Amino acid sequence: MKLIRYQTSPLFTPASSYPTLRDEMDRLFDVAFPALSSLQRGGLFGDWQGEFPVDLYQDKEGFTLRAELPGFRKEDIGVEVADGILTVTGHQKTQTASEKEKANTATAVQERRVSRAISLPENLALDKIQAAYENGVLTVTLPKREEVKPKQIAIEVK
Amino acid sequence: MSLLTKNNNHVSTETPPRRAIVPRYEVKETADAFIVTAYVPGVDRAALETQVDGESLTVFARRTWAPPAEWTAVYRETPAADYRLALELDHRVNRDAVRAELNQGVLTLTLPKAEAVKPRRIEIKG
Repeated sequence: MKLIRYQTSPLFTPASSYPTLRDEMDRLFDVAFPALSSLQRGGLFGDWQGEFPVDLYQDKEGFTLRAELPGFRKEDIGVEVADGILTVTGHQKTQTASEKEKANTATAVQERRVSRAISLPENLALDKIQAAYENGVLTVTLPKREEVKPKQIAIEVK
Repeated sequence: MSLLTKNNNHVSTETPPRRAIVPRYEVKETADAFIVTAYVPGVDRAALETQVDGESLTVFARRTWAPPAEWTAVYRETPAADYRLALELDHRVNRDAVRAELNQGVLTLTLPKAEAVKPRRIEIKG
């Protein structure tokens, strides 16, 4: 008998932030009707809060994660791996430019905090993870460990 | 300026018909301009077109990145669509001075107010 380790989807969020059916439905609607969902979430004038969309691709070398995080500075984005969980955070503080503007907005300092945790598959080379940020898109390259890459071994037939 | 989305379903004719969505955007008003902020992640400066004609301002932004053929998508949340935002302008906008700036997927459009609508102090003589 073989025991196969039960593997969850690489994008499964950890139990603490287990997505509810409602979250999943919201996400589905975000993708299908982006204009509508921005209205729903605090209106057109509201700030982006909480989550951001993520794509995950796979190839021979490993996985590539792409996250849409527009408007951050590179240094305001944090990518962290701990205990098999990849956490992407963004924290941005904007100070309104002038006194005049302060009168128009409710708060002088606007803060935007986003974060997302993604549980990773077991077979990644954690020390080789790389991240890049361009055009508001964060790309995290997650290479597989050498030994789990498929290897071709020629067997001589006698 | 009503700044309501205007006929956003129209598909640009010179490009192959690819789905375009209205990006998330917000409008702020300052003493001398309207500031439109649109979130267009994945768009390169070269793939952005902003057009002002008479009564409308149209932004067309194309996603430049596409996954290599040997990649398979395991999970997708982002729409594989370009962005198109059309706003109606009225007499309060000075069309000749519209400025656009793109920074890390955030497009900031500055639509200065026309001189005629800026507050003016009138001296009382006598």
